[in-house]
Amino acid sequence: MIGVLVLTGFLGSGKTTLLRHLLGQREFSRTAVIINEFGEIGLDHELVEASADSFIELATGCLCCRLRSDLAETIDDMLERRDRGKIPPFTRVVIETSGLADPAPILQTLMADPGIAGRLALSGVVTAVDAVNGESTLGREQISVKQVALADRLVLTKSDLAGASELPVLDRLAELNATAPVAFAHHGRVDPRVFDADAFDPRAKSLDINSWLGRAAEGHEHAHARHDPEIRTYAILRHAPIRAVTLTLFLETLAEHCGADLLRLKGIVNIAESPARPAVIHGVQHVFHPPAWLARWPSDDRRSRIVFITRRIPRRWVEVLLDALDAEVAAVSDSR
Amino acid sequence: MEDIVCELLAQSLFAWGLIGRVQTENDDAILMACNATRIRIQSSPPGLPFRWMVTINGRKRGAISLVAVLRQVRAALDPGYAINRVHIAPLPPLTA
Repeated sequence: MIGVLVLTGFLGSGKTTLLRHLLGQREFSRTAVIINEFGEIGLDHELVEASADSFIELATGCLCCRLRSDLAETIDDMLERRDRGKIPPFTRVVIETSGLADPAPILQTLMADPGIAGRLALSGVVTAVDAVNGESTLGREQISVKQVALADRLVLTKSDLAGASELPVLDRLAELNATAPVAFAHHGRVDPRVFDADAFDPRAKSLDINSWLGRAAEGHEHAHARHDPEIRTYAILRHAPIRAVTLTLFLETLAEHCGADLLRLKGIVNIAESPARPAVIHGVQHVFHPPAWLARWPSDDRRSRIVFITRRIPRRWVEVLLDALDAEVAAVSDSR
Repeated sequence: MEDIVCELLAQSLFAWGLIGRVQTENDDAILMACNATRIRIQSSPPGLPFRWMVTINGRKRGAISLVAVLRQVRAALDPGYAINRVHIAPLPPLTA
C-alpha cells in the first residue's frame, strides 16, 4: 500500500516551505506530491523542487469544494501512469491542500473511494500553524480551527520568528486538539519523522495509539471556550469489554446523527469476543474505516478508550448512547 | 432498560438542539413531547418481530432496535435533518 499524507494549514502557514524542505530529504525521495492551489494561476508548485525520482502534480480550485471525484481522478491517473512507467515509481503521496480547504472531504475521499482505498492508505494529517499569526487566525477563520482539530500532527511554523518561548498559540492548539503532538519548525525545517505519521495504521505503530489517546484518555475534556465553544475533545472510557454488535450499532448511530459534526473519532476498544486483540477504530464524519485488530494490547491498560473531536455533540449523549445500546444488545443476548 | 432509554431520548433532544419533554409513564412507556408532536415508546408485545413500538401522533410503528427508534424519533421531530448516508464497513472476522 502507498501511504498518503495530507498536509494542511491556513493560508500563509508555511505548508509549501515545509514541503520544499521535506522533498529535499533522502527518506522522502520517491514521493508524489499533489499541490492543490486556490485560484486560476497557482504558484506554490513553482516553489517546490522535486528530486529526480519524485514529481509534482498540480490541482487548481479547492478539492474540498469541488466534486470529490476530482481528487480521486487525479490519484487514479497518477497510479495508472506509475504502472505504465510514465512517472517515477513513487512510494508515498503527499497532498498539500489549499489553505482554504476543509480537510474532511479530502479524508473521506481517501478513506472511502473504492479505487483509491484499495491501493492507497491514508497515513495521517499534518497541519501547519503559524507561530506568529496562528492564534489570531484561529480566532478569525473557522476553517483553520477545523484544520487543527482534524490533525494527527501539528507543526508550529515560523517559531524562530515568534521569539517568546511561551507561545500562547500552544494553549489554543491544546484546547482544540489535545491528542496531536506539536513539532516546531525553524526556518522551514522540521524533523521529517513528523510526516511519517502512519496515524491510520495503528497496527504498524502502537506508539501513535498512546499519542492520540494521550491526555484525552484520562477523561479530560477540552473545549475552546473563548472562540469556538462548539468544538470539543473528549474521551469515553469503559472498563467492561464492549460487544462487537454494540460497537457497530454505536458507530452507525454516531454517523447517522452526527454527520459533519463528528470531526474525528479514534479509539482502542476491548471487544468482548476478542479479549486478547483490541480493535482500533477511526472515522471522519460519517466515514469509518473497518476496525484494525492489534496483535496485542500496547500496554497493561485494557480499557476501551474512544477519543472524540466534535462540534456540538454533547459528551453525555455519546455516553448514554453507548450504554443504552449495550444494554439492549445484552438484553437480546440474554433472551436467547 | 426504560430508564436508560428515557435518558437517551432526553439527551438526544438536547444533542439535536430541540426543546421538549421526556417522561416515563406508569406502564413503563416513555412519552416525548416536542413542539406539537407526541411520541409514545414502549416495549413491543411478545410475538412481534420488533423490540419497540413507536407511536407518533397516534400512528404506531414497530422498531427493531434503539437505533431504529432514534431514526423514527428524529425524522418526526427534526424533519429538516437529512440522516447521513453511513459509510461503515462491517467488523472483519476475528482471527486467532
